[in-house]
Amino acid sequence: MNPVLTFIVVLIGLYGLATSKNIIKSVFCVTIIESGVILLFLNFANYEGGAIPIVSEDVAAIVDPLPHALMITTIVIGSAVTALALIICIKVFHHYGSTEWAQILRREDVK
Amino acid sequence: MSRKIILVAALGILFVMFFLSMEEMEDLFKNDAKLYFFEHGLDDTGSSNLITAILLDYRLFDSLFEAGILLVAVSGVIWISRHDFEERNAHFMLDKYKTPELFVTLSRFVFPLLLMLGFFIILNGHLTPGGGFQGGAVVATAILLLYYINLERKTDISLIVAVVKFAYLGIVLTASISLITRGEIFTNFMAVDAPTMSKYIYIIALDILIGINVALCLWAIFTAFLKEGR
Repeated sequence: MNPVLTFIVVLIGLYGLATSKNIIKSVFCVTIIESGVILLFLNFANYEGGAIPIVSEDVAAIVDPLPHALMITTIVIGSAVTALALIICIKVFHHYGSTEWAQILRREDVK
Repeated sequence: MSRKIILVAALGILFVMFFLSMEEMEDLFKNDAKLYFFEHGLDDTGSSNLITAILLDYRLFDSLFEAGILLVAVSGVIWISRHDFEERNAHFMLDKYKTPELFVTLSRFVFPLLLMLGFFIILNGHLTPGGGFQGGAVVATAILLLYYINLERKTDISLIVAVVKFAYLGIVLTASISLITRGEIFTNFMAVDAPTMSKYIYIIALDILIGINVALCLWAIFTAFLKEGR
C-alpha cells in the first residue's frame, strides 16, 4: 500500500476537523488522523519479503520492529486522549444541553 | 463556500509538501538498524517477539510512561465524572427490553473464551504477536460483557484505581530490580550471561503487570462512562 494513501486519510481527518459542527465528530476526526499516522509508520517499515519481527528458524529477513513498538504507544495514548475528550463532551452536554459547536459558542455566559 | 475552497487548497498544499518529502522518508526504517535487533534481540532480552523486546527492554522508559499516561487519564476521567448524588448504571445503553436475548446468551458463552484469549495473549507476549497492552485490552473487553449479562452490576471504581496504582508501582519496582542485579536501571534483571531461556521470566512478569494495569484502567474508564449517562 502506498504511503500517499495513508496521508490522504490524515487529510480527510483534517478536513473533518475544520468543517465538523459537532464536538463528538471533532473527537472522531482526531481519531481518524491518529489512525492515518499509524498506517503511515507501518507503511514505512513494510517492504517486499520482510517477515513479521519474530525471531525463528525459518525467517531470513524481518521488517524493522521499532515503528511497530512506537505505534503501540500511539494507540494507548490515543485511547487515553479520546476517553478524556469524550467525558468532557458528556459534561458539556449536561451543562449546556447541546454538543453543537455553534449553539455552545452562541451562549452569553461563555464569552 | 469560499471557506471550503480555501480549506481544500490548504490541504492540497500540505499534500504536495508531503509528496515532495516522501522519498526521503521512505528509507527511514529500511536501513541496517533492524539487523541489530534481528541478530542480538533474542540473546539480549530472551524474547523472540522483537516488538515486545523493544517495548519491555530497549525502550522500557517509553512503556513506563505509556502505562503512567493511562493511569493519569483514568484519574482525569474519574475526577471529571464525579457526582454527589447516588450513581447507577445508565439505562439507555443497557436496557433490558432493547438488548436482544440472543446477545445476552451469546455474551455468557463468549465471556470465558475471550478471557482465556486475553490471558493467552498476555502470557505469550514473548513468543507470539501480543503482550501486556493488547492482552489487557482483550481482557477488558471480556469484563465489559459482564455488564450485558447483569444489567444492575455495581462496580467500585475507587477499588479498581487502588489496584491499578499498586500494579503501576509493581511495574516500576520490577523494572528497577536491575539496578541491584545488573547495575543499570530499567532493563532485564537476569544476569547478562544467563541462558536465553531464563531471561523471559522478566518479560512475562512485566507483561502480566502491564496487562493488569491496562485491563483495569479500561474497565474503570468504561464504568465512568456508564455512570455518566443519566
